[in-house]
Amino acid sequence: MELKTTQIVVIIQCVWSVLGNTHSHGLPNIVFLFVDDLGYGDLGCYGHPTSSTPHIDQLSRNGLQFTQFYAASPLCSPSRAALLTGRLSPRTGIWPNVFLPESSGGLQHNETTLAEILRVKGYNTSIVGKWHLGFGKNQQYLPMNYGFNSFFGTPFSHDMCPCLKCFYPSDPCFNQCDLYYTGCALFHNDRIIEQPVDLTKLEDKFIQKATDFITTNAVSKTPFFLYYSFQHTHHPQFAGHRYRNSTLRGSFGDSLAEVDDSVGKVVQLLKDVGVEDNTFVFFTSDNGPSLRNKHRGGNAGPLKCGKGTTYEGGQRVPGIAYWPGMIKPGRSMELASTLDLLPTIVKLVNGTLPRVALDGVDIRDVLFNSGKSTRESFFYISPYSTPDYPIYAVRYKQYKAHYYTQGSSNTDFTHDPDCPETHNRTKQVPPLLYDLNQDPSEIYNLNLDPAYTDVLMRIDDIKREFEASLVWAESEIGKPTDTALEPCCAPGCSPFPSCCQCHTSNKLLFLPGL
Amino acid sequence: MMLLIKLFQFMLMFHAFYSTNSNPSKPNVILMLMDDMGWGDLGVLGNPAKETPNLDRMASEGALMTDFYAPNPLCSPSRASLLTGRLPIRNGFYTTNDHARCSYTPQYIVGGIPDSEIVLPELLNKAGYRSKIIGKWHLGHQTQYHPLKHGFDEYFGAPNCHVGPYDNKKQPNIPVYRDADMIGRYYEEFKIDKSGESNLTQMFIEEAIAFIEKQHQTGEQFFLYWTPDASHSPHYASKSFLGTSQRELYGDAVMELDYGVGQILGKLKELQIENNTFVFFSSDNGAALSGGAYVGSNGPFLCGKHTTFEGGMREPSIAWWPGRIKPGKIVHELGSLMDLFATAVDIAGMKLPADRVYDGSSLLPVLVDDKMNKNKTIFYYRGNELMAARRGMYKAHFWTWSEGIPTLHLEYCPGMQVEDVTTRNLTNHMAQPVLFHLGRDPGEKFKLKLNTAEYKKGLQFIMEAVIEHKKTMIPGQPQLNMCDKGIMNWAPSGCETLNKCLHGPPSNPFKCSWPV
Repeated sequence: MELKTTQIVVIIQCVWSVLGNTHSHGLPNIVFLFVDDLGYGDLGCYGHPTSSTPHIDQLSRNGLQFTQFYAASPLCSPSRAALLTGRLSPRTGIWPNVFLPESSGGLQHNETTLAEILRVKGYNTSIVGKWHLGFGKNQQYLPMNYGFNSFFGTPFSHDMCPCLKCFYPSDPCFNQCDLYYTGCALFHNDRIIEQPVDLTKLEDKFIQKATDFITTNAVSKTPFFLYYSFQHTHHPQFAGHRYRNSTLRGSFGDSLAEVDDSVGKVVQLLKDVGVEDNTFVFFTSDNGPSLRNKHRGGNAGPLKCGKGTTYEGGQRVPGIAYWPGMIKPGRSMELASTLDLLPTIVKLVNGTLPRVALDGVDIRDVLFNSGKSTRESFFYISPYSTPDYPIYAVRYKQYKAHYYTQGSSNTDFTHDPDCPETHNRTKQVPPLLYDLNQDPSEIYNLNLDPAYTDVLMRIDDIKREFEASLVWAESEIGKPTDTALEPCCAPGCSPFPSCCQCHTSNKLLFLPGL
Repeated sequence: MMLLIKLFQFMLMFHAFYSTNSNPSKPNVILMLMDDMGWGDLGVLGNPAKETPNLDRMASEGALMTDFYAPNPLCSPSRASLLTGRLPIRNGFYTTNDHARCSYTPQYIVGGIPDSEIVLPELLNKAGYRSKIIGKWHLGHQTQYHPLKHGFDEYFGAPNCHVGPYDNKKQPNIPVYRDADMIGRYYEEFKIDKSGESNLTQMFIEEAIAFIEKQHQTGEQFFLYWTPDASHSPHYASKSFLGTSQRELYGDAVMELDYGVGQILGKLKELQIENNTFVFFSSDNGAALSGGAYVGSNGPFLCGKHTTFEGGMREPSIAWWPGRIKPGKIVHELGSLMDLFATAVDIAGMKLPADRVYDGSSLLPVLVDDKMNKNKTIFYYRGNELMAARRGMYKAHFWTWSEGIPTLHLEYCPGMQVEDVTTRNLTNHMAQPVLFHLGRDPGEKFKLKLNTAEYKKGLQFIMEAVIEHKKTMIPGQPQLNMCDKGIMNWAPSGCETLNKCLHGPPSNPFKCSWPV
């Protein structure tokens, strides 16, 4: 008797359900390990000669390492919005640039996030770490409003506040960051529990919170979604007791070593509490490396420029998928993006896709069957993109065409004149064309070679079609700013902003309107 | 109970180790040296292409050496140093025709490896090893420089690079030897098609497998120097590998070489001699970036082949010795191909000859016993000039250079310009060396500020070693000064039998010109 494919699938499902009987719900847990400003070349397993990342390297050895994986944007806020919604920043209104503590805008409540979709399916959802999708009046843009059951972390980057102390025991940060804002606030749900936060102890708190969350859900057999959004390795780098001066790579290496330690702990914990074989872990970064503070920044490896730019260094990032028994260890050259995680996971849990235009594709076949990605193209949208200058570059198969190029203050120190802010927006006619397989460093322009005329025409068509379908939402970041909106644990205090100081011992400090 | 299990495990290991070889011989040594492959070409070192599954596995079963160097940014001197354990300036593989110029052994070179140098197989023969070179020799092509005259017992390969085809009038095609005699020439009996199709790598693999099998049967320990050159321009690959990579012919060549590595390691496992064989994989210099888009990658490092920046000399390097080297180890100890000489001698249970200076030391302490030597120094030479030195994480550039003759349009640092560092002309920094911390800044982009405490301390640490180095330096007789078109591979030994002797011009020695 010959088994039909459907019968085989049923058998596999039966076996799976028997083997996976500790998970009565049958839904896989989801863990995002999301690092800040980590570049393509920053990890040992992606070719950094002196980083100390043994746990992430091991995750990579036991997982699927992507070499053509893209953050949806070269900058924080738009990239994070895309991760959670599966939509590019023009659609969500997270443009141009990023949110500031005084911004009045935020991710719109009518956007559907992955957390919301999973919560409907019975998931317990939590974000630990950096949010950066708005704060606003009455804290209306904090994670609790987007499907997260709990939030333990900071609303912004830790340079959007005065940087006081970065290294154990009490060494200063590289610079003082934004002295004019209130101190960095650590939130537990909707409450500030520490301001300014002690950066040298922050990662310890994050991993503790993540540990509690995973353990609790594993014990109660509740499916969970953990969005672990590291404050590391964004500048100014910081490190606590164990990792201060621990690496060959200086302060950046120490910061990254704290990430690595936490990644190791999360993976070990999943094993210890018996959910490892039922948890999909994805490790990646929000954008390429910041190259504004010389060696106190990340590394794009062989890629051009970094954060803030639409060159490869700005958006191609490490991407590691891990799920023992389900994902075969190896390396994948398939084209994929953070945009693809939402549709993939929604399909995985048999959830409902939001009825909006999505920019991601389902990559389950790539993850679980070593299959081909259905993604053939990728659109690079700059932090400077506007409806008048929408698409900066398009990747189609291994070819990339740059229609506009522009540097960024985030990559001021790269010794490549194309990277710094002094490189103003430049229209490229005809578009610069690179073969990224052959030339990942984007050095050898092919646009005048007649052999590539067809490729350029094809890319033109793809771009035109996409632009015609792209509806730009009103800019949330462009909305008026107001210093009164900044997080402050002692509302109305004076002298503002330095008076906004509270510590864990001063419990129960509420914000206005709560 | 635990103790019993442990004891049992130990006995099993003991059994496995010795049962394969009733007469425990000295460990075999295999050195795999690639040509112009860059640090960034391996998957395990971050290359976005998927071309090296076997090397990636080799790294996970062995030790990845992240800070391992070629002794020179060019092939011949680098290879001569590997096989003599000594810097080119000592063994003669340099020129004094001009200041700080790279030189090598094209087929009109007069010089080669001097008899006064002790070549690795000469030493190993004394310890009972049988040695074979498969691939590119590059230590001189004249009769007196033949590998069999310098300790090798067997030879399959060529004295020079496989460039060509030549017309056999102005210049002969490069001969391929089996042992003492030539058996044909590249582009003639040993085809390299214009499209890049060639079976050469497959031949080099088959030769290696056959040698290993033969040695296993005779029970005689062996030294295999496996040095295929498919990743040197003009790149080539056999038919089944053509078009299989995402990096054109270069990637295809890498995939085939990687396949070869897998075949060789697989054979060792199949014969159950992997626990008794030390294997080291590396490359002779950085990727040749001046070749344009279709070449290797130096990953995050600056510039490439010919230069003394990291991209020119840092090599993708893996040590493999199951049962002795802990799997998955990452080694940050500084190392050099010259250490492999000392390591092989150590493995053979011998001591380095005491009558001369050696520039390497055995890697077994760090590889096997985890004893890291933090005091090692890497000396970066171009020709007769010490361009730079690295000790610990600090690297000082005393001289910088990134271009030869502008009219040649050779770009050694494409897309990478670091002010005052990638200087086009040879630039003297002796008064204030350019200092980098390679741990924080592997790409050599951010110079340490002069006169800071760190600059002074770092420079002093390096200078201690440099002063000592210069004090004891007695340069060898330069071998790469004279050229002569009359001594090209016109009539190599064995050409009569094949009826392939050619008639070249009469001998007319001239001072070689080394433009870059």
